[in-house]
Amino acid sequence: MNHPSAIRIFFKTIVARAYPRFVGSHRNLTWLVTETLLPLIGTIAMIYVYRALHAPARYLGFVVLGGVLLAFWQNVIWSMATQFFWDRGGGNLELFAMAPTSLAAILLGMALGGVYMSLTRSAAVLLVASTLFGIGYSTASLLPALGIFVLTVCALYCLGMVLASLFLFYQREAWQLADALQEPIYFLSGFYFPVRSLGAVVGGLGSLIPLTLGLDAIRQLVLPGTPQFVPLAWEVVAIVVQIVAYGVLSQVSLRYLELQSRQDARLILRST
Amino acid sequence: MSEAIAQWRGFKAATRLGWKISSNWTQPLIFVIYSVLRPLSAAFILVIMYRVISGGAPGTGAYLAFLVSGVAFWSFVQYGFAGLSNGIVEDRGEYKMLKYVYTSPAHFYVYLLGRGLAQLASAAASAVIVLVVATVALRLPIHPLGVNYPLLLSASFLALLAVIGMAMAYGLLLLQAVDAHGYGELGSGVLYVISGAIFPITVLPGVLATLASLSPLVYWMELIRRSLLGSQAIRMFPALSDGDVMLRLVVTTVATLLLAHLVFTWADRQARRKGLIDMESNW
Repeated sequence: MNHPSAIRIFFKTIVARAYPRFVGSHRNLTWLVTETLLPLIGTIAMIYVYRALHAPARYLGFVVLGGVLLAFWQNVIWSMATQFFWDRGGGNLELFAMAPTSLAAILLGMALGGVYMSLTRSAAVLLVASTLFGIGYSTASLLPALGIFVLTVCALYCLGMVLASLFLFYQREAWQLADALQEPIYFLSGFYFPVRSLGAVVGGLGSLIPLTLGLDAIRQLVLPGTPQFVPLAWEVVAIVVQIVAYGVLSQVSLRYLELQSRQDARLILRST
Repeated sequence: MSEAIAQWRGFKAATRLGWKISSNWTQPLIFVIYSVLRPLSAAFILVIMYRVISGGAPGTGAYLAFLVSGVAFWSFVQYGFAGLSNGIVEDRGEYKMLKYVYTSPAHFYVYLLGRGLAQLASAAASAVIVLVVATVALRLPIHPLGVNYPLLLSASFLALLAVIGMAMAYGLLLLQAVDAHGYGELGSGVLYVISGAIFPITVLPGVLATLASLSPLVYWMELIRRSLLGSQAIRMFPALSDGDVMLRLVVTTVATLLLAHLVFTWADRQARRKGLIDMESNW
């Protein structure tokens, strides 16, 4: 009997793990509602804050673009970083560990499916918020903006893979830690205001999260007049470096923490 | 054993359980940091948004105080509403103990009240720390000796009754769903928009503004600001006296509690009929 090659298994695993997310993105209505409405409501609240302050129209655009990437961040936190935690609780992690494949392939599949899932949610946020509040964008640099968006999402999901391996170590506190990675990250990444307002130190620290630089670059391209944090070219270079760095780091940390988890029997330890 | 003692024991056990569930996942110091991290970050976001627009012009303390007081006290709604409604769903799905609560001598309301009170304890610590940090860092016009504590406490008592009542009803409604992850936060997010916590409700379009004016949270926020800031408070209802705002808070709280009771009773009956109380849910 012929056995499939390791490469074939690797790619089949990616597709197999991404598949439920492609299907689930429109089949699971309860997720559809929360994943779309949560970032949308946050975005609308912040738009009203700017309206109350009589802010120029481009600030509303800042918020909407922040809301678009917020949908991705929430997906990274709740469906990437904490996913092995949920899988362990549901008894899937031990099955993954026994299967003739790697956790890296499973993570890549999760990321691929997650990107698709978030894309549908963020498109809804962009469309609804922009229409409701009559927000316009410059389309002159739309293609470069889309390119930077793709790079940012790649870097973000690489970071998500790093977090997923770290969360293998957490038990009941995983929920709280994921929760704590919301408002503080919205602040550090400048989701609702120009990143430049954070200053060099805080903005520099926030730039470790790919969203910060990606968001600033996209705003510079589609919302003319955005105060520049770092020149656009440097932001693109930094995001590419982050893709490589977080990609490598995720594989190294996954191998190390998987080994540790096996030794400590954490792959089968229920969290409650 | 008298009925009152049984209820009191149930209340104490529920409060202790709620506190343990929300706090014993880590060391006390980490728990305190966790409790203030989100509201403090939310306050910083609003402060930067305001500073970006105002450009640090003089005389901005009053509006910053408007924003910070709203965010600080919002912790009560975040913990009390989202925390309690999620807690009901977790008791069923994750801890699989809701059926035991139903069969215990304590009334279900008493149990939920205790569970909710534990959540509010975390919120109180968070609100105080956010207010103190922001007042010192931003030099807000809040003076501990100048605060109208009777007004603050009585308004907060009423509003928190309404919050717990809404959370109970909403939590019971969530039992209808197999997977209710994120719905507690969704509910509190909607309340956030219509509560006047971070912007005056006059900014909202007509229907939403009307809806907001029916919520006790708006009048609570107004009284919080008046009690903390006195004459320096930016008012959402400048034509109303403190007494008028309090009267509206009382009326809307009573109406909210009545409505919450009706919804709770209906949802409870549905849950019993459909066998939802011990249903396996998506955990």
